[in-house]
Amino acid sequence: MNMKLVGGAALGLATVLVLSSCGSGGSGGGGDTQAGGDGQVTLKMVAADYGDGPGKPNSGETFWKGVVDEFQAANPTIKVDVQVINWNDIDKQVATMVQNGQAPDILQTGDYSGFVQDKLLYKVDEVLSPNVSGDLLQKFADFGKVDGTAYGIPFVSSARALFYNKDLFSKAGIAEPPKTWDELKAAAEKLKAAGVTQPFGLPLGQEEAQAESFLWMLGNGGGYKDASGNWAINSPQNVETFTYMKGLVDAGLTTPNPGTKDRKTVWEDFGAGKVGMVNGGPMSIPIFDAAGLKNYGIVPIPGKTGPLDTTLGVMDWIMAFNQNGHAAEIKKFFDFFYTGSAAEKISELYKLLPVTNGGIQKLSGDEQLKPFLDALPNASFYPFQDHNWPTVNTAIKQTIGGAVKDDPAAVLGELQKTAESANG
Amino acid sequence: MRRLRALEPLAWVGPAIVLIALVVIWPVIEMIRSSFLEISRLGVVRGWTAGDNYVKLFGEKDFADIMLRSVIWVVAVVVLTVVVSLALAQLFNQHFPLRKVARWALIAPWAASVLMTAIIFKWMLDPEVGVINQIRVKLGLIDAMGGAAADQLGDASTAMPWLVFVAVFVSVPFTTYALLAGLATIPSDVYEAAKMDGAGRFRTYWSITLPLLRPALTVAALINIMNVFNSFPIIWAMTHGQPGYSTATSTIFMYILKGSDIGESAAMSVVNFGMVIVLTVIFLRVSRWNKEVA
Repeated sequence: MNMKLVGGAALGLATVLVLSSCGSGGSGGGGDTQAGGDGQVTLKMVAADYGDGPGKPNSGETFWKGVVDEFQAANPTIKVDVQVINWNDIDKQVATMVQNGQAPDILQTGDYSGFVQDKLLYKVDEVLSPNVSGDLLQKFADFGKVDGTAYGIPFVSSARALFYNKDLFSKAGIAEPPKTWDELKAAAEKLKAAGVTQPFGLPLGQEEAQAESFLWMLGNGGGYKDASGNWAINSPQNVETFTYMKGLVDAGLTTPNPGTKDRKTVWEDFGAGKVGMVNGGPMSIPIFDAAGLKNYGIVPIPGKTGPLDTTLGVMDWIMAFNQNGHAAEIKKFFDFFYTGSAAEKISELYKLLPVTNGGIQKLSGDEQLKPFLDALPNASFYPFQDHNWPTVNTAIKQTIGGAVKDDPAAVLGELQKTAESANG
Repeated sequence: MRRLRALEPLAWVGPAIVLIALVVIWPVIEMIRSSFLEISRLGVVRGWTAGDNYVKLFGEKDFADIMLRSVIWVVAVVVLTVVVSLALAQLFNQHFPLRKVARWALIAPWAASVLMTAIIFKWMLDPEVGVINQIRVKLGLIDAMGGAAADQLGDASTAMPWLVFVAVFVSVPFTTYALLAGLATIPSDVYEAAKMDGAGRFRTYWSITLPLLRPALTVAALINIMNVFNSFPIIWAMTHGQPGYSTATSTIFMYILKGSDIGESAAMSVVNFGMVIVLTVIFLRVSRWNKEVA
């Protein structure tokens, strides 16, 4: 009887061992081909998709294939495997990779700070030449530092402004785009009277609620943190801001149920001529163009008493993981990316703004991008460097829409509590 | 030699044991272990916690609502699925022209990817362009496209019924076929006997068909309970659990938590696992599954 049990257990264990060693052998072989004898190194890269998804002409896959082909032609011993993941899934999938000990060598996404605490990243000066890092916009590069050491390299940036549909504005008899909240409300009422279903497009859903919310907070001198760097999500200014927004929502002047709407949907609705005004960035221009909307204007975002003298600067990051020890190869790839034509191409293709002085000069002639390039120097940023930000961000994306549906103070208070107790 | 013979059965059940150990038991152990670990958002294990994850989970403002909603979700979807399927199975058990075509057509919602079905329904319910809303405007049920009235997925009170509808829609084919197979096993002589005794149609269904269908019904309902409780794609694709967490079930909540605290998310998984077991036991008790038909 006992023998049977032991035998069964032994057999089971043996099978488990065999199977699991197969598994790790397989994945190890894929990630690290240094043993190939010819000195070939494969860099595994994960990147977010700035395009319209797989199969579309501007998909991330297509863009990166172009970059990688050129790079590999110049560096035959380095192979770069790029996996492109859409924005909704990239953070979770990367977390799963890290969890399973299969972190990529290079990651391009919206945040780097969470990885610093766990010592997963190379310092920037280990993977980027000084002439390249010297050309990065100083204010942006500073945000790549944690406790004085740079880990994140700004990849691309964008700024926001108010887009308004000129046809709908003239139909509603509005002469000027709004500069203040009062003017915004008045314009929205006129638009509604003229039959526009969504006078103001307000995406506070899962995709990017943190951006839309921040733009509104800035309009009233608020933000996620106060001047001394403490979380201030439920500051009196922010509560006032969301109370004002709730007023717009209750009057039917916005996208219905903003807390469930993604920016992509709202931008598409703007492109389809269903939305009077919406906050957008250079990256929304291709969406509007694709939908056939031509006659729109771009102005600074209205604040409570006047147009914003700042805007949300969003920058995405590229970073290098230190687990596979490929610093030298990664450096070659990064230098190639920033000094070659790739950085410029990405600006052109996706209407993203550059992060280098050289890049801004090259683009200064672009009329459509001018309002955004002008706004970049004085941009405000998310509290990226706070290692709690990813946790807070997750909570904001899910629940901040409730602040324009239920009690603003209660919803913001709950988020404040999350921010203060989170342990990243 | 004798001893070797004694090991023989192991050769037969061994592979099954290994398979179960590997794909069932090991993940369960790993899940429970993770729920007691502090794991960073990015997957790095930072050490043991003595149940902190559970304390944090039970302290979440929305936790009780989410658990209650999960139970309501399961009960609503499974009951509706079974009722609809009983009727459909009865219908498809009759002879009528084109029965074969109708039976094939029923497979469609089952064969299509659940995620795809959910996305299609989301499009059909789009407040600006969705076909369902266009029909509602034409019927005069709502005044215009684009407003809050057309945005049924934007509010929990109207979104939940649609989520339930889609879940029933994708669960009905399997359930119907399971019941259809059950109906086929009922011998025709019991119906003849009932007829001789003068039982009416309703009486026959209630006293003959339903009791004899019980094994098939139990299995179908049980599989549905587990499926629906763990159902993820429908809600995620259609509402992301929003607004707030007001359309989230525990499975959705577990996935959202994974973005901020993997340990807490694992604790949610363990609670989920326990809930499925509890629901299953309650169901088996209620349905007295192992009692022979009297």
